Amino acid sequence: MNEQLKALYKTVILEHNARPFHFEKKEDAGHVLEAYNPLCGDRFQVFLEVKNGVVTEACFHGYGCAISKASTSVLVKNLENQPVEKAQELCRSFLKMTNPDSQEPVEMAEEFMAFSATRDFPGRLKCATLSWEEMTLFLEKQTVENEN
Amino acid sequence: MFDPVKIRSEFPIFSHHPELIYLDNAATTQKPEAVIRATSDFYQKENANIHRGIYELAANASQKYEQVRRTVASFIGAERPESIVYTSGTTEGINLVAQSFLAGRLQPGDEVVISAMEHHANLIPWQQVCKMQGAKLRVIPVSEAGEIDLAVFKKMLSERTKMVALVHVSNTLGTINPVEEMIEMAHSRDIPVLLDGAQSVAHYPLDVQALDVDFFVFSGHKIFGPTGTGILYGKPEHLENMEPVTFGGDMINSVSFETTTFAAVPQRFEAGTTNIAGVIGLGAAIDFLMKFDKNDILAHLKNLTETATDALRQIDGLKIIGTAQNKSAIVSFTLGNVHPHDVATFLGSENIAVRAGNHCTQPLMDFYGLPGTTRASFSIYNTAEEALRLAEALKDIQRFFA
Repeated sequence: MNEQLKALYKTVILEHNARPFHFEKKEDAGHVLEAYNPLCGDRFQVFLEVKNGVVTEACFHGYGCAISKASTSVLVKNLENQPVEKAQELCRSFLKMTNPDSQEPVEMAEEFMAFSATRDFPGRLKCATLSWEEMTLFLEKQTVENEN
Repeated sequence: MFDPVKIRSEFPIFSHHPELIYLDNAATTQKPEAVIRATSDFYQKENANIHRGIYELAANASQKYEQVRRTVASFIGAERPESIVYTSGTTEGINLVAQSFLAGRLQPGDEVVISAMEHHANLIPWQQVCKMQGAKLRVIPVSEAGEIDLAVFKKMLSERTKMVALVHVSNTLGTINPVEEMIEMAHSRDIPVLLDGAQSVAHYPLDVQALDVDFFVFSGHKIFGPTGTGILYGKPEHLENMEPVTFGGDMINSVSFETTTFAAVPQRFEAGTTNIAGVIGLGAAIDFLMKFDKNDILAHLKNLTETATDALRQIDGLKIIGTAQNKSAIVSFTLGNVHPHDVATFLGSENIAVRAGNHCTQPLMDFYGLPGTTRASFSIYNTAEEALRLAEALKDIQRFFA
């Protein structure tokens, strides 16, 4: 098997795929986001509570490939107890790191960096970024609502 | 003597990618040198627009373009070349029949019957026409094995049924539907039938007149021809009574600001400059295909399907989706809890090209309660060794994810 590919999955993805963080439904959550890719059918719901500009609770549920599931798991895990601005920063860094067109070097913890390898597998890039892009849109709305 | 290795040598893609194990033939086939050359020769030496060109190049281009119509007609057993309409593919053919043939005949309460294993291309055009006219789309269920129950089908037909649209070979399950019986059942109630031949026309001996089918559609790119080409066959009495749905140049008889009369069939359905080089390529693809005895092709594919199925069945946790008695060279499967896209990525890294996902049959996946499958589909240039390599690679993947 391809060593590079094994490396991509080995680090973080297999672990989060097998044991995703807060993998549960919470229908009555304050906010429910849907990350859906009609091209492949991956579909996750992310359930969030946001109080006074801070993400107080996060969990997720749904179905997708190992990469999209692990990337959503890592996202959810790192959102909890983060102020919205911090969460936005995190999303920006992650999307920059996984963007093959971005020249700017991004340093993030190993947990995130594992996904940078998807740059070498263009067909799987969207799997890594799906939930992060949806979260970025949601967080933007939050800050706009706060400002209003 | 049918020799897949020799056939493979006629496909330049495999000289550029000698390691490639191409098992995505249900999505598109590779192109033989003869097809690539025919298309490229046309652009290099023969290019001109067709119809009404007075100079020699244009006259020759028109002649070649119309010659392919005769080739296609004889390939599928059509009564005459005028029954052959060039399209951009299966999808356009079905949409044309739905809009032009069916829409005007549908009254509120009427019904259109399709099967649960239709490709989205043979579902949405009918669904939308039904919606427009207040008619109802009825769906023939499939069994767990992926087969249609003829008795159930028969019961669904009534005086309200205005059309039956059916896939000949399922692109997801590989099921070969009993279309001869189904066409007969529909005709006994005077219901016209469209057959989606996208997955069947390359391999199965086909005779539209013997089938007595009303419409038959397929794509060029799945039978070794260029993308963006396709064929709609229609019975002459249907085509003659159909109005065009796309208007423009090349499809008229005479035009004034007040009114237009349309050209005869099939030109009235071919507005604008069509894919001329593509059609020439499609002609070369059919010439290529007609060199083989279809019984040899079928025997080869049956052998590959059996080899693949037997080898895949040995893998723990692997489940084959679609186990019809009468099956073509398409093998869909799930591998334990490993997502089809992860399977396909790992296979891809081993130079094995397969497709993963819902294969444009989302309602069928919902029926099986699956988000998708991994699908290996075989063609004339595949070998038993490649089928076994697929099985070996799948074992590695399963071990890795265990």
